[in-house]
Amino acid sequence: MTTTPLHQIGNMIREALLLIPLSMVRVMFLALLASVLLWVLNLPRSETTAPDSEGRSGANLKVGASIALGMQLLIYLLL
Amino acid sequence: MKDTLTIPDYAIILLYLVGTVWIGVAIGRRIKTGTDYFLGGRRLPWWAIGMSLVATDIGGTDIIGVGGAAYTHGMAVANFEWIGCVPAMIVAAFVFVPFFYRTGIYTVPEFMERRYNVGVRTALAVCWLIFMACNLGIMLLASGKMMSALFGWDVTMCVLVTAALVGFYTLTGGLAAVVYTDAIQCAVMIGGCLLVTGLGLWEIGGIDGLRAQMPDPEQTQLILPADSDSPFPWPSILFGLALILSPAYWIGNQAIVQRSLGAENEFAAKASYVWGAVLKNLIPLIIAVPGLIAVAKFPDLADGDQAYPMLVSTLLPVGLRGLFVAAFIAALMSSIDSYLNSAATILAMDIYKRFIRQEATDEHLLAVGRVTTAGLLVFAIGFALTADPESGLYSMFQTLMSFFQGPALAILLCGVLWRRATGIAALIGFLSGVTFAIFLYTVSQESVLAWLGWQPLFQVSDPFLYYSVWAFTLTVSLVVIISLLTKQEPAEKTRYVFGQFKREPNEVPA
Repeated sequence: MTTTPLHQIGNMIREALLLIPLSMVRVMFLALLASVLLWVLNLPRSETTAPDSEGRSGANLKVGASIALGMQLLIYLLL
Repeated sequence: MKDTLTIPDYAIILLYLVGTVWIGVAIGRRIKTGTDYFLGGRRLPWWAIGMSLVATDIGGTDIIGVGGAAYTHGMAVANFEWIGCVPAMIVAAFVFVPFFYRTGIYTVPEFMERRYNVGVRTALAVCWLIFMACNLGIMLLASGKMMSALFGWDVTMCVLVTAALVGFYTLTGGLAAVVYTDAIQCAVMIGGCLLVTGLGLWEIGGIDGLRAQMPDPEQTQLILPADSDSPFPWPSILFGLALILSPAYWIGNQAIVQRSLGAENEFAAKASYVWGAVLKNLIPLIIAVPGLIAVAKFPDLADGDQAYPMLVSTLLPVGLRGLFVAAFIAALMSSIDSYLNSAATILAMDIYKRFIRQEATDEHLLAVGRVTTAGLLVFAIGFALTADPESGLYSMFQTLMSFFQGPALAILLCGVLWRRATGIAALIGFLSGVTFAIFLYTVSQESVLAWLGWQPLFQVSDPFLYYSVWAFTLTVSLVVIISLLTKQEPAEKTRYVFGQFKREPNEVPA
C-alpha cells in the first residue's frame, strides 16, 4: 500500500488529535458555545430589539438566543 | 407497519393533506408579482419562518435515518441538530441575516456578484442549481421508497402523488405557501414524533431506564474519541460540522436563507433564526432518542432504519399512527417544497433575469417562477423514476453539498470580512476548492484506492465532513494568496464588506 504526502499530513494530524484527552475536548465544545453566548449577551440593545419595542422586555432577542445556547451548554455538560 | 393503519389513521392523513393544499391555494390567490412569489412579498412573520427553517432542515428520510443512525451509532448523531445547528443559527441571526436583508438581495449568488463578479455568481448558482434539482429527485425517490417500505404503497405512485401535492401549492403560492405550510408541517412533525418519544420513554422507565438498558455506554455520549469506530468522531463534529458545514448551511444555503429574506422587517428576519435555534434543541429528542429507545426495546434489529417504524407500530394506538404518518409526510413535503421554490428562484433570478432578460418586470418574473417550478418538478420526477439507487452516481449526488459548501463559505467569509479579497481570487479559490473536494471523494472510493494501491486517506467510513474542512482550508489559502497578487476591487464592490454597507438614498432593493 502506497502512502503519499497527503497520507503523511493526515497521519500527523490524527496522531496529534489523539493526544487531546476527551475531558479537554468537552471543554472545547463548551467553550465554543459559551463564547457565542457571551458575545450575544454583549451585543448592543439596538442589535437585539425591534425599533419600536421600547420598554417591552419580551422583544429582546437576547432572551431567546440565551435560552437556545443555555440549553446547548447544559446538554454538552451532561451528555 | 403496512398492516397497522386503520380508517381513523387514514382520515387523519387525509385531513392533514387537504388542509395543507388548501392553505397553499388560499395564499396563491394573493400572489401578484415576482417579489410575492420568491420572497412572500417581504411580509412573512418570524414565527412561521423559524418553524419553516426547522421543517426544511428535517426531511422525512431524516426521521427514519437519524433514528436508525442513533440505533446503530448512538446519540452522537444528535450533534448534527445541536452543535451542528444552534451556534451557527445564532451567529447568522445577528450578523449575516440582517446584513443580507439590508442589501435587498433575492439570492446568495446575487450577493456574490455584488461583492465579487458575475463569474462567482454564476459558478455558485450553477452548483446550487445542479444540487437542488438532483436533490429534489433524490428526496422524492428516497421518500417514495420509504413510504413503500413502511406502508406498502407503490413507489412510483408515492413519487407522483408527493410531487403533485407539493408542486401544486408551491407553484401557486410560492415562498409564502411554502413557509406557512412548513410551519404547520413543523408542528405536526414535532407533535407526532414527540408522542413516540414520550410513550417510548414511559414504557422503558424514563431516562434512567434508558441509560440502564444501553449495552454500550458510548451510545449515550455526544462526544466520541478521535479514533472511534463511529462515523462521528469529535474532530469531524467540531471542525467539519460545527465550524464549516453548519455555518455554510445556515448562512449560505439558498433554501434556508431565502425565507429570512422574505421577513416583514429586519428584526423579524433575526427573530426567525433565534426561534428556529430554540426549536432545534428539541429535534434530537424526537428523532434521535427514539433510536435509543428502540435499542432498549428491540436490541436485535438487523437494520437500524427499522427502529422508528417498529416503535410506531408497537407504541401508538389506532388513530395516533395516522398522526405519525402525517408527521412523516409533513417532514418530507416541507423539505421538497423549500428546495423546489429556491431552485426556481435561482433559475429565475440568477440565470433568466441575469443573462436572458435583464429588464424583466416583476409580473413577468412571477410567470417565469411558475414555469421554472413546473419544469424543475418534471425534472425531479424524471430523475426519481430513472435514477438507480445502487449506482455510484446516486451516492455521489447525496454527497454533492459537501463538495461546494466549504468553498462557498470560504469565499463568503473572505468577501464580507476582508476588503482585499478580489473576484478573480474568489472564483479560482471556489473552483479549486470544489475540485479538491471531488478529488478527496474520488480517492476515498474503494475501487479507486485499489487501483491506485493507496491506503485510505480517512479512517472513518463516511468522511464527507472532512472533505469540507480541507476544501475550505484550500479555498481560503488560495483567496488570500491570489488576492494579494491581484488588484483590489473598486469601492462599489468593497461596500459589501461588513461595516461598509449603506444603502444609497436613491437605491431601491432589487
